[in-house]
Amino acid sequence: MLPKGGEIAMKTAQETSRVLTTKAKSPAALPDLKGWTQFARCAEDAGIESVLLSFSRYEPDTMFVACAVGRVTTKLKFIVAYRLGLMQPATFVQQVNTLSGLIQGRVALNVVAGSSALEQRGYGDFLEHDERYARADEFLEICHSFWKRNGAVDFEGKYWRVERGKLLTPFQAPDRIMPEVYVSGHSEQAKALALARGSCWLRLIDTPEKLAPMVKSFRDRGVEVCLRLCVICRPSRAEAIEAARSLLPDEEISRQERSILAGSDSHTLKQALAAADEVGWLNKHLWAGLVPHYGSSAMTLLGSPEELAEIFLDYKRIGVTQFIIAGWPKLDEMLIFGREVMPRVRAAERKHR
Amino acid sequence: MLPKGGEVDLQGQQTAYEAARYRIMSTSSTSAAPRPDMEGWSYFARHAEEAGIDSILISFSRYEPDPLLVSCALGLVTTKLKFIAAYRSGLAQPTTFVQQVNTVSGLIGGRVSINIVAGSSKEEQYGYGDFLAHDERYARAEEFLAVCHSFWSAESEVNFEGKYYRVEHGKLATPFLAPDRTAPEIYISGHSEASARLACAQGSCWLRVIDTPEKLEPHVARARACGIAVCLRLAIMCRPTRDEAYSAVEALLPEDKRESTIALKDDSQMYREKVTGDDFWLNRSLWTGLAPHYGPVWTTLLGSPEELAEAFLAYKAIGVSEFIISGWPEVDEMIRFGREVIPLVREAERRQAKIAFP
Repeated sequence: MLPKGGEIAMKTAQETSRVLTTKAKSPAALPDLKGWTQFARCAEDAGIESVLLSFSRYEPDTMFVACAVGRVTTKLKFIVAYRLGLMQPATFVQQVNTLSGLIQGRVALNVVAGSSALEQRGYGDFLEHDERYARADEFLEICHSFWKRNGAVDFEGKYWRVERGKLLTPFQAPDRIMPEVYVSGHSEQAKALALARGSCWLRLIDTPEKLAPMVKSFRDRGVEVCLRLCVICRPSRAEAIEAARSLLPDEEISRQERSILAGSDSHTLKQALAAADEVGWLNKHLWAGLVPHYGSSAMTLLGSPEELAEIFLDYKRIGVTQFIIAGWPKLDEMLIFGREVMPRVRAAERKHR
Repeated sequence: MLPKGGEVDLQGQQTAYEAARYRIMSTSSTSAAPRPDMEGWSYFARHAEEAGIDSILISFSRYEPDPLLVSCALGLVTTKLKFIAAYRSGLAQPTTFVQQVNTVSGLIGGRVSINIVAGSSKEEQYGYGDFLAHDERYARAEEFLAVCHSFWSAESEVNFEGKYYRVEHGKLATPFLAPDRTAPEIYISGHSEASARLACAQGSCWLRVIDTPEKLEPHVARARACGIAVCLRLAIMCRPTRDEAYSAVEALLPEDKRESTIALKDDSQMYREKVTGDDFWLNRSLWTGLAPHYGPVWTTLLGSPEELAEAFLAYKAIGVSEFIISGWPEVDEMIRFGREVIPLVREAERRQAKIAFP
């Protein structure tokens, strides 16, 4: 997960955990090429393959951030989050294809049907949750037609219409003719969209037991599963828990954040909040305690390097192939992860082979 | 004008004819033009900075990469040059468009302007999912820009309810970032009455194809009167003498005299106006002989460096303040223009300034 603008310059975990993009004057609104370049180069060194760039009205446009950071890196791939429906599919494909040609194909898409009705209306989008998915399905169908390049694109649907569509700039990558498409969301519509049009279903982490049957049903139909989570890795589990608890905000901030989250119509968030309220701990290492304050992606896996390596292997065993990880601060936690956890995972993989 | 992908020859071996043919063939499916060409473009952009060029136009069509992304990438390898990214209003929500433009501005020091084109051909617009007719596209562009301006000047949330767009509690945290502006310059191009009106209502500059100073004068006066600048599009051919310039430009005529690429832009008034006629000389230095084959933006100002400097000053005298220039090859003609013509223009401007303020 790419840090927000200005986040890299912040020193403490507490400070970065409160880069509230929702504040009136947050540095997160401004492009931070210096911080991002530093983070991206460290990610490459740490052995990270991709970074996710989140989309909202509080941040710079992801496609252009990927372009700028992609121009100063060589291996890292950018998973660009985009809300479908805010531009014509042909325009979107032209931008994605252009970007691919500028950064050697190192771009994937994370399509989100929308986040809150309020935010969508500010973008001129007045459809309700379920309809947004129906529109996203049509949208991706058109995109795929452009990417397959089998002549002019003709489409007539409920939400989009294209006649003799043609784009000469191709998607350029060493190994693909179209980008990977991550579809995120926990709703039935999101799952159906991922199966129909996605290459990967992106969802929040849960316990391996809960996830196993879902992961299997996706893998059986040729779609990968990627989990979003936060990691806190410390020499011992007790130290990790202490670090996690120190991130709990004071009550005033907590109330503000909770009220922002309450406006969302995301199923993902509703489920995560419910987990936080009901159980707190999903198992010995998976803690939902930060979710009410920092949003659904703050579901946190914590423990020692050995414990974490073991847990990642558990997820691999049930068929999960990708993880999008955040931490506090993101850069420090990524460096710890690259140094302490990754080598243990890779060593175990070599042993099993 | 930024050359197309693959058009810049880094070895400098390309002839004017080859460069012109490359441009004409750039819409064919076998051309390399649709592929981003950072090597060629960076070379061009750096030479533009050295030549004293302020801005370059990056065109928009289904035959080429997205101009905003190209501006972003090129802005990162330059320091002074400004990018005028052409865009078709109506293909994205204004909120999304503003978020993209603002992001680019923050990444490249505010060096981005927008050239709004309401559309070019029906066929091309249909392929983008846009089925409005010519005049309605202008009405929509006006709403589009009104929403954009609300975001750029926003003290608070943006609310808009029009015929084509509706925005409720619109809010974008990322501002347009530039040393001297809070919104990009907006160039509106076109020759129709609708485009001139739109330029006055929502633009900072009206962009049109060159004509004689006499013909342009009333139009320029009208635009200046409503507080916007005027920018002319043209091609130039600068050679030691007018005769040499004329033979060089005549050599660009297609071998097959029936060839025409104009059908590609059937819905543009600019193209309807200028494609016929027997006498190709609008005046002693303005030649439209290429326009029937390749379109009005190939209208060429030709002559010696002295004659060209004189001609540019004549446009300045009637109130034109900007020019978007093409040449064949683009790099060579731009370097020649920077070396031969700009110094003469600047010298004359200094002389005039002395006369004005002795």
